[in-house]
Amino acid sequence: MTKSSITIALSFLIFLSSLSGLLAQTITVSGSVADENGGPIPGATVLVVDADKGAITDIDGQYTISGLPQGLTTLRVSFLGYRTLEQAVELGGNARVTQNFVLQESAVDLEEVTVTGKSMVQEVREKAFNVEVIDAKGLHATSLDLAHALDRSSGVRVRESGGVGSQMNFSINGFRGNQVRIFIDGIPMDNLGSAFQLNNIPVGLAERIEVYKGVVPISLGSDALGGAVNIITNTYNKSHLDVSYSYGSFNTHRTIVNAIYVAPESGFTVQLNAFQNYSNNNYKMRDIDVADINTGEYFRNQTVERFHDTYHNETAIAYIGFVNKPYADELLVGATLGQNYREIQTGARVAAVYGSWHRKGDIVMPRLKYRKDDLLIKGLNVRLNANYNLGSEQNIDTLNRRYNWFGQFREYTSPGGERSYSLYKYRNNTGVVMGNAEYKFREQHTLALSNTLNSFDREGQDQLNPDNDDFNEPRKNLKNIIGLGYTFESDAWNASLFVKDYFQQNKFTKVTELEGYNNYEYTDAVNTFNSLGYGTALTWFLNDNLQFKASYEKSYRLPESDELFGDLINLEGNIDLKPEHSNNFNLGGSAWINTNKYNRFNVNLSGFYRHAQDFIRPRLNNNQVMIVMDNLGSVTNVGIDGEIRYQHKNALSAGINLSYQDLRNNTQFEGGQTIESSVYRDRIPNEPFLFGNGDVTYTFDNLWNKGHRLNIGYNLLYVHAFYLYWPSQGSEKFDIPEQISHELTLSYFLNDKFQFTAECKNLADGKLYDNFSLQKPGRNFTGKIRYNIF
Amino acid sequence: MKSIHLFFILLVGSLLLGSCDDEGSDTPTPDPGEGTESGSKFIITATPLASEGVADYILTADDLSTGSVSTTGNGIEQDGTYRYYVTNNNKFFSMLYGQGNPGAVTTYELNAEGELEKLSDFQSETVRAFAAVDDDILTIKMTASADDPYLYWYRISTNSLTIVDEGQINAQEVADKENGELSYFSWITPKDDKVYLPYFTIKGTPEGNWGTDYPDEANIAVYSYPEMELLETLTDDRTSFIGRYFTSGLTFDEQGDGYAFSSAVPMDADYQLVPTLPSAVTRVSNATGDFDDYYFNLEEASDGYVIDSHIYAGNGKFIGIMQNKAEMNSAWGGGKEYAIIDVYNQTFSWVTGMPDGATVTNVTTGGNNLVSEDGSTVYVGITTETGSFVYNIDVASATATQGIEVEGGLITAINVLTY
Repeated sequence: MTKSSITIALSFLIFLSSLSGLLAQTITVSGSVADENGGPIPGATVLVVDADKGAITDIDGQYTISGLPQGLTTLRVSFLGYRTLEQAVELGGNARVTQNFVLQESAVDLEEVTVTGKSMVQEVREKAFNVEVIDAKGLHATSLDLAHALDRSSGVRVRESGGVGSQMNFSINGFRGNQVRIFIDGIPMDNLGSAFQLNNIPVGLAERIEVYKGVVPISLGSDALGGAVNIITNTYNKSHLDVSYSYGSFNTHRTIVNAIYVAPESGFTVQLNAFQNYSNNNYKMRDIDVADINTGEYFRNQTVERFHDTYHNETAIAYIGFVNKPYADELLVGATLGQNYREIQTGARVAAVYGSWHRKGDIVMPRLKYRKDDLLIKGLNVRLNANYNLGSEQNIDTLNRRYNWFGQFREYTSPGGERSYSLYKYRNNTGVVMGNAEYKFREQHTLALSNTLNSFDREGQDQLNPDNDDFNEPRKNLKNIIGLGYTFESDAWNASLFVKDYFQQNKFTKVTELEGYNNYEYTDAVNTFNSLGYGTALTWFLNDNLQFKASYEKSYRLPESDELFGDLINLEGNIDLKPEHSNNFNLGGSAWINTNKYNRFNVNLSGFYRHAQDFIRPRLNNNQVMIVMDNLGSVTNVGIDGEIRYQHKNALSAGINLSYQDLRNNTQFEGGQTIESSVYRDRIPNEPFLFGNGDVTYTFDNLWNKGHRLNIGYNLLYVHAFYLYWPSQGSEKFDIPEQISHELTLSYFLNDKFQFTAECKNLADGKLYDNFSLQKPGRNFTGKIRYNIF
Repeated sequence: MKSIHLFFILLVGSLLLGSCDDEGSDTPTPDPGEGTESGSKFIITATPLASEGVADYILTADDLSTGSVSTTGNGIEQDGTYRYYVTNNNKFFSMLYGQGNPGAVTTYELNAEGELEKLSDFQSETVRAFAAVDDDILTIKMTASADDPYLYWYRISTNSLTIVDEGQINAQEVADKENGELSYFSWITPKDDKVYLPYFTIKGTPEGNWGTDYPDEANIAVYSYPEMELLETLTDDRTSFIGRYFTSGLTFDEQGDGYAFSSAVPMDADYQLVPTLPSAVTRVSNATGDFDDYYFNLEEASDGYVIDSHIYAGNGKFIGIMQNKAEMNSAWGGGKEYAIIDVYNQTFSWVTGMPDGATVTNVTTGGNNLVSEDGSTVYVGITTETGSFVYNIDVASATATQGIEVEGGLITAINVLTY
């Protein structure tokens, strides 16, 4: 309880100082400072405005100020997170005056269990970028993973093919896949492999999640076309242990351990974040047509259980080093170690069933973190991060079988796989070095320089084909993004300007067949790209409760290694790919409205326009055997995200957000045509365009005893139905039906040390689909226990 | 339009489908369309031109010589971008090329009002070659990987709409090459109680890809049907392989002689063409069951063109979709010029009235086009830079006229059903 001890010490000091003046003066004011529920507020400042005197409340919220002259005076009471209160007090004949205060929480300070916390909101307000922040702490009691936590924010859509650990597709304002980038503590997560993905990392790892839409600050140095997510992990400056375990339907086990030790004197620190997920994902699928294993005839509308969908992953992130030293605020070395195992139950359509094909992956990633504020001169803040991923991925498909949904199979004696005979294993050897320097001068000006270097060097082999030289050819690339930015900040407005240079160099081997028997020539080839992007972000505070934002970026996304070199399985390389690029515009406003001291509203509205060209999209290669990526198509996207939150006292919090995006095909003439494409200006298919979330949380504080708290939370997800193929085409069409999912969470907190949570997802047991024909789990339950030691 | 009759495409030339013909001649053939109790409908499948999210749409039309039909707001959507169509037993089958995945085959027929009605669907494997054989559809799932040299055939009954038999073929054993190349069947051509499977050989290794060390030979594997036992392999060294990837190269005429078309397109590992023998027509004799000495050099007759795909109109007359050899830069199709090839008289004449090849962006290949029952007219799908049309080729005069416009997309196939 550091806060209290500081408070006591400070109060005592102030006490002492005020005692010295006691003899000369006659009047003493004392009293209590409490919150709206009558709870004492320790550490609040009580200031006598016209005298240079004050006090800080003690642990019971009590204060005393002595030595005040007679007459009218004004007392100002303030505390972080509460509205500052001024009160005129008439100091008359009595030597002792009692004056109690009740502080109202400030509008921007929503309680931890709601969406945003104080410091973050401030941060958000100061940023001119179109950014949304999710307070992950408020979700720590739940069993959510990062992906599902993100899914609750406006403009973001997460689509999954099934249960725990299934394939996931993430989009921000309609940009998806590699067009949006994920960062952890500012470090790009590209190519981290299957063992470290948004939907297998528990939300408990994060403190908050920032979602940048359209315009990405240079500190996140990457080639994001349409947005980025930055996950800020938990930081503690003192020893702490947090352990949780949950068990739920489909034999799902999840464990999280966050542990940190900080030596009080030396600043020596050891940190460990470890988590585990396991699930059989054996949920029921309803109304499935099951094919007869021999004849192909369908048995209609069967309810079947998924039988080959077990997923598990285990990951540990450990650091050792020093904090708060003269040479470094933080100097840590560590590693992320993890592995995952995923059975593959279905293909892209429910008709394709597998019973033994699976994938494995691991991550072995050493890492260095350095951070120092005010390096050499005041205002110069420096950050350096580096990591190297030695992890590998393996595709295991060695049983020549054909399964159906009843789990029956027929086996062929010849070698082969269910989909493609393979034991191919590869490592991408990705390295990232990222440096940031920020110099703040003359209060209002900040210059920032950021550089991110990514390297990639794929090695692979297939045990089934050990002599295959093809896997040994170089597949290397180097990507460097350098950004320079300037920010001006004043009370009323601030502005940022930035430029980014995108550079990429690819090394590959060209195989040429020579005369003769199985004779090939290998020649090394190199190609490079260079593109310049730029942008600006502005914000204006009309008053404390109203803010406007505008931003623009010309952004690029460089082709991925897989897109350039292929993946040797399904993807053929295309070394001639150009970067995708887009013009992103955002306009937004936020308002904080307090109807009275108990009811507060926060309204956010933002509109955006995107115009993207040279999209990297898959097409079949010439012989239709493999997919090849190509620069195809252009789209525009106009959309609006809106959010309203309501807070009643500290007890009730409710919010609703809705996103609409009008993604349109902007390719007027398809290759070689002089007539307008029949799908020009049609809505991009197979992409949700209207979706939202609603949530209500009610907190019973001090339920029967002090420190006992009960939270009841409800969450609603809505996704409008959308077409699988172009909306304008055809009259009998396939669609992905409307999705409405209800979630109920009950959490019981005991002195903030123990938490017990019960959850029900998909309460109405609806048939939910994110992707055509791929059913997600029905109603399911989870119980969770969490223990915290500070 | 009176003469127009069902005759379906994929098996043009195999006149084994006597039942089909008889069925047709039993009923008088009124003009398709309005108010008739029975008739026929043309089934056009088209796919919009776009870089993503593309499905095929099944459209119907009464007349191919005029008017227009559109995929916008019209047509039955088919799941999966790459679908293939075959008609047999007066049923229309929509099959999926699922990149190795199984998928649903949907079956349609015309109801009494002449509207397409879904009969059923059933699960089948991905297809690489398919053909109507008797009352069945024979499909083959190929392999292009030497690690897994087995290909699979499936016999689908058009009566029960289920797979009734299946089997495996070792493509390395069929090819029987010392370097382990795989046989890759270009297509399936039935005759009597046999099916003829012309093939090319490919290395099927990651380095060798679709390349071959045997560019100068033609091979046809002959299987018994329905047992699918390998009876013999016919070999000829006057041309390169018969047919080409996903394209039929063999058609039997009314006398039972098989005319074999070589496109002369063997390739290397980079999908580049390898020099070989000229594109030509050879013959599998009905009498001997083997190649005879018939030889018609198409490159010579056309002055530098190779055949891409062919359509048999009857009486020894073929429509050849030709490709200028000098302009070929890959081994995959791309023919845009049409010619009448008379294999009996060994004459070659260009079809007039077709759009200029330079403006053609896509054509409906060989067997996906339609021949009128009497063989006098061949309906071919063409996409030019100004749209997609069905051209009506009059075989006798080698002239073409522009017919129905298909708004919105490429014409993947033209079929006909009766009701």
